[in-house]
Amino acid sequence: MIRPFGESGLLVETGDAHRAQALAIAVRGAMPDAVAVVPGLESLLVELDASTDLEGAARRLEQLAAGAAAAALAGREITIPVSYGGTGGPDLADVAETCGLSEAEVIELHLGSELRVLFLGFAPGFAYLGGLDEGLRVPRLATPRTRTLAGSVAIADSMTGIYPADLPGGWRIIGHTDLVMFNPHRDPPALLAPGDRVRFERVGS
Amino acid sequence: MIEVIEAGPLTSVQTASGRPAWRHAGVPVGGAADAWSARLANRLAGNADDASLLEITLGGARLRFDEATVIAVTGGTRVTMGGIDLPAATAVALRAGSQLSVEYGDGARGYLAVGGGIEVDDVLGSRSTDLRSGFGGHEGRALRSGDRLEIGPASGRSGRWTGKRDDGPLRIVPGPHGDPRDLEGEWIVGVEADRIGVRLDGPRLTGREVPSMGLPLGAVQVPPDGRPIVMLADRPVTGGYRVPACVIGADIGRVAQLRTGDELTLVAVSLEEARQAMRRAEEELAAIEPVEGSGDELGWAGSHR
Repeated sequence: MIRPFGESGLLVETGDAHRAQALAIAVRGAMPDAVAVVPGLESLLVELDASTDLEGAARRLEQLAAGAAAAALAGREITIPVSYGGTGGPDLADVAETCGLSEAEVIELHLGSELRVLFLGFAPGFAYLGGLDEGLRVPRLATPRTRTLAGSVAIADSMTGIYPADLPGGWRIIGHTDLVMFNPHRDPPALLAPGDRVRFERVGS
Repeated sequence: MIEVIEAGPLTSVQTASGRPAWRHAGVPVGGAADAWSARLANRLAGNADDASLLEITLGGARLRFDEATVIAVTGGTRVTMGGIDLPAATAVALRAGSQLSVEYGDGARGYLAVGGGIEVDDVLGSRSTDLRSGFGGHEGRALRSGDRLEIGPASGRSGRWTGKRDDGPLRIVPGPHGDPRDLEGEWIVGVEADRIGVRLDGPRLTGREVPSMGLPLGAVQVPPDGRPIVMLADRPVTGGYRVPACVIGADIGRVAQLRTGDELTLVAVSLEEARQAMRRAEEELAAIEPVEGSGDELGWAGSHR
């Protein structure tokens, strides 16, 4: 399904993030009139040159989507050290209660999840990690915090992520990492990229 | 060199196109909120469209130029020198030592371009300031009093604008969810109006969360509370709310000039009308005649130290 998005944009519904990433690569290679290509959780936004005929572009995107479905991102293996609970993980007890688990069990399930970077958004370097254990499904906070500290490891719905900077946020914070997730003067600036496989490793208490 | 005597509530170094190449890493596009006015100021000052310039929010800025330079101011602020208004949308030659005030005017943001642009380092391919994440522009932050900004080499060209900006209703086209005609009518700008977006007060719409997706400039998001937000330059790369409409490219800069309490009208148009409006906005942007002669003939140089 391809939907209009503004006077020069199309939103391609891909069903999942991996297909969106694969289609993004195909579009960047095959459509020079695509001036912006932005993958999301289940879709790809393609912004086209103002002179492009949108119906023709939609047909080209349909063909590319059919071919790109099978492609897979290589990705890297990245380990992120986390200290769970305490002042760095203020929502650990609430999450345990919501899930009907002990705090130790929440930590075990988080450590045991096979996580992959689905896409980056929200803020520079913020990677949405999919594959969170089904036992850890919690809704976002009803009232988001005005400030979630950089390095906060948090969960919401089927995803987990790490706040790259002090930001407002509605995810539930269960731990903290000292890794710098984003530095504009580093190459590449973001620690994580789509397709990367991420493993958390427990440190400290 | 430009010395910032007073910075006002929010003044920063921006570029018209922002930082579009790093969205895959979650970096917002940013840049001038009213990019059309930023491009116009640059053209008048003899710069390339994307030269770095000052975005001055709600006035309140005082600047001292310690070298001779050409400036041009566009957008919603007024500029005075020694208490006298300077002509808007026209290049003005300043003598070394000139002091300017950029004051509250008829819109939220003014753009002050200097011939040669503001010299700051490129970060991730742009000189614009990412105010939320704190990088780019001048030390990654809004300007404060005492800051000193370097000016680049000027082209020597300068111009006067003879065009006209549309002032009719703000036009919208479809987003991925629902019908833009549901948003047609009168709205009032809410308390939340910044570089990220402008919230509109009026009838409650149907809002809901959707799977996070890329957000183009001008997308109108409707969160579960039913109050729409028009997304501007500093919007996040992705958003997770229903988008029934988008403000067209030709009109989005005008949204960035709205202030809390301002009234506006939204009207749905076809994609063809939207693209035509964009072409006309580009034509109006190009309606510039050269300003001839030296600074002294412009009548302002040095008369108000």
